[in-house]
Amino acid sequence: MPEKRRLPNDMKRIDAVIRPSKLDEVKESLTAAGVTGLTVFEVKGFGRQKGHTEMYRGTEYTVDFQPKVLISVLVDDDLLEAAVKAITESARTGRIGDGKVFVSSVEDIIRIRTNERGRDAI
Amino acid sequence: MRNIPHTHPRLFLKIVVAILLVRVAIGPLVVAFADEPQPDPAGIATGDKGATLDAGGNPFVVAQPTDKTAPDFAKNKKAFDEFQAQAAKEPLAMKLADNVGHLRIATNFSWTLLTGYLVLFMQAGFALLTCGLVRKKNAAHLMMLNFAAYVFAFLAYYVCGFAFQYGGAAINAAPTNLGGTPTLSHFLLGSGLWGFLGGKGFFLSGPAYDAGSLCLTLFEVVFMETAGYIIVGAICERIDFWAFLLCELFMGAILYPMFGCWVWGGGWLSQLGSTLHLGHGYVDFAGSTVVHGVGGFCAMALAIILGPRLGKYGPDGKPRAFPAHNLAFVVIGTFILLFGWMGFNPGSTLGSTDLRISVIAVNTNLAAVAGSAAGMFLWYFLFGKPDVTMACNGMLAGLVAITAPCAFVSPSSAVLIGLMAGVLVCLGVLFNERVIKVDDPCGAISVHGYCGWLGAVCVGIFADGTYGAGWNGIGVTSYLGKAGQGVTGLLYGDYTQFFTQVGGATLMAVYAFGFTYVVFSLVNAIRSMRVSREVELEGLDVPEFGLPAYPEDELVAAEPAGSLARA
Repeated sequence: MPEKRRLPNDMKRIDAVIRPSKLDEVKESLTAAGVTGLTVFEVKGFGRQKGHTEMYRGTEYTVDFQPKVLISVLVDDDLLEAAVKAITESARTGRIGDGKVFVSSVEDIIRIRTNERGRDAI
Repeated sequence: MRNIPHTHPRLFLKIVVAILLVRVAIGPLVVAFADEPQPDPAGIATGDKGATLDAGGNPFVVAQPTDKTAPDFAKNKKAFDEFQAQAAKEPLAMKLADNVGHLRIATNFSWTLLTGYLVLFMQAGFALLTCGLVRKKNAAHLMMLNFAAYVFAFLAYYVCGFAFQYGGAAINAAPTNLGGTPTLSHFLLGSGLWGFLGGKGFFLSGPAYDAGSLCLTLFEVVFMETAGYIIVGAICERIDFWAFLLCELFMGAILYPMFGCWVWGGGWLSQLGSTLHLGHGYVDFAGSTVVHGVGGFCAMALAIILGPRLGKYGPDGKPRAFPAHNLAFVVIGTFILLFGWMGFNPGSTLGSTDLRISVIAVNTNLAAVAGSAAGMFLWYFLFGKPDVTMACNGMLAGLVAITAPCAFVSPSSAVLIGLMAGVLVCLGVLFNERVIKVDDPCGAISVHGYCGWLGAVCVGIFADGTYGAGWNGIGVTSYLGKAGQGVTGLLYGDYTQFFTQVGGATLMAVYAFGFTYVVFSLVNAIRSMRVSREVELEGLDVPEFGLPAYPEDELVAAEPAGSLARA
């Protein structure tokens, strides 16, 4: 029976939900930290503070979801702390709604053009 | 025989329709045999020295006095004899007078047609305004409603609307600025000073196939279209397209033309000054009630029959907001409507040879800006922020309210009227939404219905007598003891005009609401005019028309799947 191949746990995925206005700053500081690529999603969400109420033609309505941006990057373990620090420093304003960073491990990465796998594909 | 209506309703209906058709068919035949004015389709016989007037409106040609018992008969006869003598001595001057008269009519034709095209452009403005005010999923639906409104109401007006409204215009309301349209000379219902429905010009043929008459048609059809698209604002986001087409055919064929006949086609409301000594009769210069009021109250009846949009009112009856999806459209649409109104109001003189057009244009703008300012400030005081859509609705409210009085009031009165309308529209929107719970997505009922009523009443308050001498045939030489006194309101000494205006405007509301409610309650009972729940929740763009207004929101791939397979 073939052994179940166990990949080394040396790649991480960082997802960061940030303010849309901070995207450029975060992108610059990630690039400066040595990150080679990223994916950006336009998302909506809320945290502990929920939304707020607005008025339209005399009727109140609640704005539950705030527009946010989710950045997804893949890094080597060695680069993890630097990348997280780059994101948190550049995305922080000090006000409620700054966002969150999630770190998860990655099973495998494949580059479509060359079929490289693992750390070579980052 | 007497029992037939009850025992054989279908037969009875067929007999009635047959009689009406025969009357309509015989009309033109009678014209052909009688000694009646002939239509002038090429425009080569319209406008002669009879149309030549001086700045004060005094005719070049002196008419022969016919009434021997009139007090100034001798003076008039002398003037006529002198004119005849001079005409014989100066034949070249008489020929020149023919040219001048034709030129005057031609000038008025170009004015009327061009201002009519401006009003046509308002269709685009309203389409943008209403599209911007609704949710994204219904954007194509709104655009299609506005588009189809123009198409089908026009066709209905061509078939019978114009004939109903203006078929008898020459009797009491001949548009002298366009040559008088003498062929439009018969009432289908009523006669003389008590006309109810016109009867010449069906399918714009025969007596209506005349240059002057068709000039009037173009101008008046775009006014009817305005009433036609007003209803879109209140019934959108839940009405079925086929039901909507019925509404437009109804508007173009009978609802608008009948009241239009009463007020502008020489019908009974305009002749109340002669018949019942009520001021100058019911006066509505450019249509606060004829156009906007009828549209607004028709919209109200339809909105009540349809019911509110799904989710508009919670289980506790509290209203929920459905914010506008494109405020840029709303503002651009409002500006286009304002621009088009420069045709709507000044154009209603039917001639640029009537120099009151400048006063009308300024009054219209003043009321517009006053209405918008009132809307912005009131909303700021009520809710803390000036709402963009209420600023726009405020401007439109001011425009609607000044439409009836614009020719008869001073600029300062125009500002006051605009301010009142701006306040009324804000209160009206809140009243409809919170108190009577009638769901009106674009505020059409408040802007056009309520402010239309206000506009007509303002004629009876603010008209200052500087214009309108001889309006509806009243006070041609003098009115209220003053020579050249025109339409006058309460603040300037004529209380009968005020009561006439209130009565006529209220009648308009009852008529438009009642007639629409009866007819469409019946239609709705036969088959629901509302789309199904699933369609309404998904948005009407795709289920009704197969086309989303914003396809990128719906499709995942930029290219249709499989289209690049062979690339």
